[in-house]
Amino acid sequence: MSVAERLLIARLKARDEDAFNEIVRLHGDKVFSLVYRMIGNRAEAEDLAQEVFVTVFKTVDSFRGESKFSTWLLRIAANHCKNRMKYLSRRPTDGAAFDEAAEEHAAGGAAAGRAPPVQGHIEAPDVLLEAAEMERMMQAAIETLEEDHRLLIVLRDVEELSYEEIGEVTGLAEGTIKSRLHRARMGIKEYLAKHTR
Amino acid sequence: MDHQAAADSFSSYLEGDLPEEVKLALEQHLGTCIQCRTELAAFRQALGGLGTLRQPAPERFLPQIQRQIFLRSKGRFFGRRWMLFGRIPFEWVSLVMIIAMLVYYIAALRGAPTAVHPAP
Repeated sequence: MSVAERLLIARLKARDEDAFNEIVRLHGDKVFSLVYRMIGNRAEAEDLAQEVFVTVFKTVDSFRGESKFSTWLLRIAANHCKNRMKYLSRRPTDGAAFDEAAEEHAAGGAAAGRAPPVQGHIEAPDVLLEAAEMERMMQAAIETLEEDHRLLIVLRDVEELSYEEIGEVTGLAEGTIKSRLHRARMGIKEYLAKHTR
Repeated sequence: MDHQAAADSFSSYLEGDLPEEVKLALEQHLGTCIQCRTELAAFRQALGGLGTLRQPAPERFLPQIQRQIFLRSKGRFFGRRWMLFGRIPFEWVSLVMIIAMLVYYIAALRGAPTAVHPAP
């Protein structure tokens, strides 16, 4: 851990509000992205991602520096996701929620208040729709995976964490991560092969 | 190398993690097996698609979190801060005023008339 990060965490433990704001700026995108891809519903993901940072603010004293702060934070996010998914699995699912998000993406996300896509030019409508359809398909593929496999796919292939970092988040050995990840990837491939003909 | 062994190697192959002899065996197999070449291409495409799925947090993400903490801490954290001219924190203004009053007090003490001396 760098000196700057140690100082930031020390300030956070003292409940320094500016330090907390900095933590959200540094890690907010990654946490939201993880939660969104795990849950698959934008409204639920916003709610849950906020909850993750509230938990961080309340329990930061329990961070002992044995792992990276980012992996500690993602572990909290993963645990929140698991709990929320258990709760949601008992509720009837709202299949329209993700379609709505995909349509908003196609429209540039302006209505949802999302940050615009990082592009240097304006895409043609058919290109945007194709991208939205691909995103919808990929998310649907991810949602066919069991929870543990879904987490590994999101951590490695979406968020590009190293195997060491994934080990810190999940507590799994590298060999186990690699074999489960491969099975998850094959599952994604097979889903796409079946649904894109 | 058979089809199953080839498929089992795809992840390690694309991550550059295969031992050299296994990599050579896989490439040899791919050179003669169109089915596995097709499977590998589909596998690679699936991974490529996953890499585009990152989502930025919504614009009001931080203010919403601050609001949650404010409510749950009953106003103890992330309450409104009073600022002079919208920039200078209340604590600094108070500190400067205290120092100014101390300086004035010391200056006033030094400039005060001394006790009246009796006539020689």
